[in-house]
Amino acid sequence: MIQTKNISKSYQSGRGIKQVLCDVSMSIPGGGTIAVVGKSGSGKTTLLNCIGGLEQPDTGSVNCLGVDLHSLSRRELSYFQRRKMGFIFQSANLLSYLTVFENIAFPLELNHLEKENRVRELLEKIGLPEVISAMPHELSGGETQRVAFARAIAHRPKMLLADEPTANLDTETGALLVKFMFSMCREEGCAIILSTHDHSLMDLSDKTITLLDGKITHAKNNKEV
Amino acid sequence: MPFSIFVVDRPRPEYGLPVAVIKKDSTSMLFWIKTASHFLLRSWRSTALLTGMVVSAVSSLIFLSSLAMGVNDAMIKNAVSLFSGHISGMNIPENFPAKNLLIHGVAGVVKRVSTPGFLYHGDLMEMVTLICVDPDKEIKFTAMAKKIIKGRYLEAGKNEICLSQPMARQLNSEPGDHLSFFPAKNSDTVELTVAGIYKTGIDQFDRGVSFCTQGALPVQSMPWQAAIFLGNGVDKEIIASQYRKNNTKTMAFKTWAELMPDLEQLISLNYLSMSIVILIVFMVVSSGIACAFSIFILRDIREYGIMKVMGITPVETAFLIFSEVILINFVASSMGVMVGVATVSLFQNIGINLSAYTSYNQYFVVSGMIFPRLTAFSIWMPPASALLFSIPAALWPTVFVIKKNPADILRSI
Repeated sequence: MIQTKNISKSYQSGRGIKQVLCDVSMSIPGGGTIAVVGKSGSGKTTLLNCIGGLEQPDTGSVNCLGVDLHSLSRRELSYFQRRKMGFIFQSANLLSYLTVFENIAFPLELNHLEKENRVRELLEKIGLPEVISAMPHELSGGETQRVAFARAIAHRPKMLLADEPTANLDTETGALLVKFMFSMCREEGCAIILSTHDHSLMDLSDKTITLLDGKITHAKNNKEV
Repeated sequence: MPFSIFVVDRPRPEYGLPVAVIKKDSTSMLFWIKTASHFLLRSWRSTALLTGMVVSAVSSLIFLSSLAMGVNDAMIKNAVSLFSGHISGMNIPENFPAKNLLIHGVAGVVKRVSTPGFLYHGDLMEMVTLICVDPDKEIKFTAMAKKIIKGRYLEAGKNEICLSQPMARQLNSEPGDHLSFFPAKNSDTVELTVAGIYKTGIDQFDRGVSFCTQGALPVQSMPWQAAIFLGNGVDKEIIASQYRKNNTKTMAFKTWAELMPDLEQLISLNYLSMSIVILIVFMVVSSGIACAFSIFILRDIREYGIMKVMGITPVETAFLIFSEVILINFVASSMGVMVGVATVSLFQNIGINLSAYTSYNQYFVVSGMIFPRLTAFSIWMPPASALLFSIPAALWPTVFVIKKNPADILRSI
């Protein structure tokens, strides 16, 4: 279960203080999927960052799997993230000096989990067994995102945070990737919080929330969870 | 079970991770070292550039410090090998055998007897201290024979004399001329043939002194002087103190440093000035290395940001960064030491000829060749310094990476 309570976040910039999130409260049941939609600058990324512990909200709390994230020390948060969370970003953010195998094995190594079979299994599932020794720069955009997804779920996290993972992909590849993500996460019992501005992806999730200027303007249950 | 380098100080079972699990979560040192080497090898262009910088800095510093040693060695060698030896023994009784001075560490003892008197060539007369020498030993241990500018050096068993150039001018003598010597304490005249004319450029030898073969003068009951030459690396002070301890108080033993305090000062000055130069070069080079290391680390901030998102701890981040710095330093410094040692070894054999700049210098009268010399200090100081400067240099970017919010890092790339 992931629960946010009245989280607010503002940034100081040259143009003054910008309120990015304002009293955002939401909850996602374990294994559930939620799509956060909204225009650019609506606060989607900041919300995901706060949920993932990558940023500290100014006010409010994030309770993730029974743990108040922002009360943890830096090291405790790191251990929590490495074990319980997976992240995917708009730009795949693969470690550029590591091969595909080493990238996917990285979270497994951090968690002392078996690597060889798990990496091969994931590469088979994402349909890229042949890229195992490739370097990230040798992959196409779609392949890179699929490898990033494999890395994010390699250690079987309880929660996957995907920040506009399809933004750099064509519509068809993006839709395929998201469908694949959802089906695999359901298979592995992993909750997904996906931010997107692609409305066509919303129906794939259990719940959709719409952000506008840092506030939830609309929340919709797409199916019974 | 990997070796854990991290210790959890505060168990937080409330977030579902008991202490045992957290401890197990600590990733092995080997994994981070392997990751660091992947980072270095797979970004080989910038690694090669940084390595090149460290290699050239370390090897240059090794060469510079070896050169400083070589210059000092050359001055000492020039000063002692011309005539006086590393230690001069004075007032040694006539019946004291020279072999008694051949103790461990001494390469050779050259016996000399000085006799004051007057030299005549026809009507021309000069007051002189005539030093009787063993030509074979002089040739073996000293460089006087190399200072002959006309004629040749003395030959054993012949009644010959070598005059300094000013003395030869005063007496209007040339090699082959016959001179008469009247010892001040003996009325017997000795006939000597001029074998050669020398010029050292040092007043002490060019004015009022001439050399003749031992046996050319009648045997006199006079104390003798010894020029004592030491083996390589033998401490002159230790040998001199042994002589002082073992021999009678009438004998005096003085090291070259006592006889030539100006040379001693010059060498100290040379050490000081070279140390200052090396320090300045070193500071400039080290600042360059420090900046390069900072840039090198910050260049990969994206990678560290991604890893932070995946949950690497601050200690692991620091360990990864320092592994990179230490690995690159170890490899580059080893290469730098090899290049530096190879360069010094090359010049140690062929030497650097500075005769054009030293010909009028009294401390380079024998040879202007400099042979750089490696010392333990010159080998370990540059790599140790490179490491010493690069580790603090890595500290700031490491703290920066650790403190920086991963979201900010990813937003900025």
